Amino acid sequence: MKRLALATVLLLTACGTAPTTPPATTVSAAVKASGTHNDTDTMYLQMMIAHHEQGLEMVRLAEDKATRPDLKTLAAAVDATQSDEDTLMKTWLTDWQEPTTVDHAPTTHADHGGLPATGPEEIAALKKAKGKDFETAFLNLFVAHQHNAVEMATLETTDGTNEEAKSLATRIRQSRTDQIQQMLTMLNS
Amino acid sequence: MRRSVAYPLVALGAIGSTLAVASPALAHGYVSAPPSRQALCASGAVKDCGQIQFEPQSVEGVKGLKSCDGGVSQFSILADESRNWPAKSVGTNVTFTWVMTARHRTADWQYFIDGKKVATVNGNNQQPDAVVTHNIDLSAFPGKQTVLAVWNIGDTANAFYSCIDLNVGGGSAPAPTPSAAAPTSAAPTSAAPTSAAPTSAAPAPATSSAAPVSSSSSWAPGVSYKTGDKVKYEGKTYECRQSHTSLSSWEPSIYTLALWLPL
Repeated sequence: MKRLALATVLLLTACGTAPTTPPATTVSAAVKASGTHNDTDTMYLQMMIAHHEQGLEMVRLAEDKATRPDLKTLAAAVDATQSDEDTLMKTWLTDWQEPTTVDHAPTTHADHGGLPATGPEEIAALKKAKGKDFETAFLNLFVAHQHNAVEMATLETTDGTNEEAKSLATRIRQSRTDQIQQMLTMLNS
Repeated sequence: MRRSVAYPLVALGAIGSTLAVASPALAHGYVSAPPSRQALCASGAVKDCGQIQFEPQSVEGVKGLKSCDGGVSQFSILADESRNWPAKSVGTNVTFTWVMTARHRTADWQYFIDGKKVATVNGNNQQPDAVVTHNIDLSAFPGKQTVLAVWNIGDTANAFYSCIDLNVGGGSAPAPTPSAAAPTSAAPTSAAPTSAAPTSAAPAPATSSAAPVSSSSSWAPGVSYKTGDKVKYEGKTYECRQSHTSLSSWEPSIYTLALWLPL
């Protein structure tokens, strides 16, 4: 509610000086993370940016190569929402004067003895796959990819302090869990 | 036996460097197809599963167990035979697909039916691919079977467990088991009681659960929205700008302006 109120105030202020300012059409224009943040917030956003960009690469392959309409639609919707979230997270980090990249993001899990699901080799293999094999390969790999997003979200909601970043993590956990649900259904239908 | 079509092994050099610092595993993995019991829970094909629906990859227990729940009490539903788990009709040569969310070096994969080992696939103590497939010959086990698939981790004492209910020799296309009752067509969004729905051989496709949209109806999850559709949500009207099947947390808001614009 606080965020909405703030956005309204900003819009009203903008209207006062420039009556033609349109309403926000991207989340990054609508939501600011102005409260305090800690190292977990920063690391989470940096890791998620790297994770999102791998994900965007994968769904854009699916938009291009998949043939089943339900999969193409899901890929396009993930592209739209994750592109917006990617910009949002970069805007927050820039506002916090933190870098938007992190050296070891994709291999953070490796510190615990295992790599996460998606690496450059997996994306390269996906690029080579064709037809029905591509759809099956994409669905399994993207299920694993979004499981990783759920795991990272839990890290943020447990140890983060910034309210907007934690709220984003909660939304990511919910939407990715439901995406996994849709994809497992497609995989076995 | 092992078929690694799409995913190459990662560079061995990278694996070696993590060996010395191997710490308690956050390894995760499960069988996605044919759907394991935890996959059926995560897809919503089987309802009221509890926490496992959010983390199907986490059925981890010590090695050597023969239980579908890996001995994890909060996942005990996976070993509950009274749930009458739906059996997927398959041929006699079955391709099992594992989804790995953390790719730990692997001792081996084992497959059991009724406590008897059916197949072992050596992992060579190497890092698996993100998606691993195994072709297993089940021609000696026709009919309805529960396969226990085990992923034995190479550098910990633990394993990951998935049970897959099959109708072996029932054909490769989704079909009801011959001896079972008529399949239900209950869509994932309908509130199926715990005793219903499992006679269906396969979960309903996602698209079949997506109801058509009447003009300016209230937003709901699990609905197929098309660009230009209008919905009401919390007193405001929104227009869809990107076709999608709605999810929880994809409701119209300032967070989902990529999908919905306020009118």
